[in-house]
Amino acid sequence: MIAAAEAMGALLVRDLRAFLRSRSQLYSSVLFPLMLLAILGTGVSEGLDPENIDDYVTFLTPGMIVMTAVFSSTFSSASYYHDRDSGILKVFLASPHSPPVILLGKTLSAVVIGMAQAVLVLAVAIVIPAINFEWQYGVLRSLALAGFAIVTLNLFLSGLGQLLAQRIRTMQGFHLVMNLVLFPALFLSGAFFPLGDLPVWLRVLGAVNPLSYAVDLLQLALYAPDSDGYFGVAVDVIVLTALAGAAFSFAANRPVRPEAA
Amino acid sequence: MNASTSPAATSIRAPVSEPAIRLEGVSYAYRDRVALDGITLDVPRGSVFGLLGPNGSGKSTLISLLIGRREPDAGSISVLGAPLTPSLRSRVGVVFQEPSLDPLMTVAETMALQAWLFNLASETVRRDTAALLERVGLSERATAQTSTLSGGMKRRLELARALLTRPDVLLLDEPTLALDPDSKQAIWQHLLEANTAGCTLLLATNDVAEAERYCSQVVLLDAGRIVAQGTPADLKRDLRDDAVRIEWRGDPSGLVPALEAEPGVGHVRLAARTTHVTVDDASRFLARLFERWGDEVHGVHIERSTLEDVYFQLVGHGIADVEEAERS
Repeated sequence: MIAAAEAMGALLVRDLRAFLRSRSQLYSSVLFPLMLLAILGTGVSEGLDPENIDDYVTFLTPGMIVMTAVFSSTFSSASYYHDRDSGILKVFLASPHSPPVILLGKTLSAVVIGMAQAVLVLAVAIVIPAINFEWQYGVLRSLALAGFAIVTLNLFLSGLGQLLAQRIRTMQGFHLVMNLVLFPALFLSGAFFPLGDLPVWLRVLGAVNPLSYAVDLLQLALYAPDSDGYFGVAVDVIVLTALAGAAFSFAANRPVRPEAA
Repeated sequence: MNASTSPAATSIRAPVSEPAIRLEGVSYAYRDRVALDGITLDVPRGSVFGLLGPNGSGKSTLISLLIGRREPDAGSISVLGAPLTPSLRSRVGVVFQEPSLDPLMTVAETMALQAWLFNLASETVRRDTAALLERVGLSERATAQTSTLSGGMKRRLELARALLTRPDVLLLDEPTLALDPDSKQAIWQHLLEANTAGCTLLLATNDVAEAERYCSQVVLLDAGRIVAQGTPADLKRDLRDDAVRIEWRGDPSGLVPALEAEPGVGHVRLAARTTHVTVDDASRFLARLFERWGDEVHGVHIERSTLEDVYFQLVGHGIADVEEAERS
């Protein structure tokens, strides 16, 4: 057990080091959502002036945190291809640990890196004067809920990313599929516009979209003034827990294709 | 993890009579092709054991079975007297055929990660890493990213990484492929040092000269079957002593039957405008050659027979003749 945990720690340290070394990934992951907040947030609130949302920039922030998690865990999952193609994955798998331990270590790295970036965006958002969080459950409890949303969302996304990375042969294909799935999912998550006012067919799609629950929970924790949200805290927590558990454990327990390594 | 993964456990050895590796009736098939067909062999402890055969003969498949990347369809494998389990891999080192270094990591990080994955104690690791990098001539490059190393340096680093865990068995899949002669020799010097220290080497190769020079025992593989096994000297015992390589001015294919009919000739191998002929006595054969075909001969080289000749005699084609068929 200790040996397996140590091996996962080794993989985590190695992936974190690679992430910190790649400055462009570090900066862009934080700058992109902030840029969207500035441009899209200001553009919509000033240019369109939506009636049902008073403070669009603050409304958009939870969605940007979700978007950061989505992009960063996708990026981290794609490191599977880097490891496979450089041959280092073979070396990991020839160590005295079973393949699930190695995959769990890789998935865990993706979770930690994704979480770190999402938390960074949240931290920057807190200090930006134009963003006014409501903290309707009190700052600490709201932060705890936001943290829960970030952790479970990253577990889910990293598990999903790992699962797809093992099924899709090339990195180009992987990014294509991820973009095809994740962009619509992001738009249908309530990140950019509230789900409540949409036609039925879009509301149905929104309800089957895993990202919607993370956006809802983050909006409840950070943005919503005295509101029960679209799904409600209880539903959000249950759905996110189930999704995270399922994707993460499923990803770690799949056998690695021998030809991949 | 059980106790056998701890560094202390590497000193526990099975009885010396046990072979380092034992395969009994091992078969493996890819979807459409049999890669290994009932392989039975013992790799004695402390030996330098060569698996010699062309690409596609099953060497790489055998290595991947031995590190547990694939499960045999039939038969059993034991390593150091025990069935193969993940924890047993703490005593088995591998150098893969393809590069297996992360280009973004440094030399020192590569070694440290290996130590961490094998749960090695840190004081031992520091000492061993320094000594190994010194030995393979990479001390000066410890902080360099592996992408900046030359091909030979990369190979030496992969070897140092494999030796860091002090394996009892080292599996080598074409360890000197595409290296220049100096690098090849350096790699072999390190391998033989490890072997002297008690490490069993199992080497998959299609380099006949290498197998002949370094291996104490050789298995010749063809299409997933063992066609011969023994020491290089044993294998060559039944062979004619000399080999003559003849370069012809024209196409020699029509001459093969006549060459084969000459007294004292073993087999005749044809490659473009060259024939390779094994003979009992080169001087007597050459006299006949120039008498009969003197005008057509462009050049002649006399060589000692090699394992390549053994292979050809047994299988009907050479090791180098087979085109790349297997990538696994």
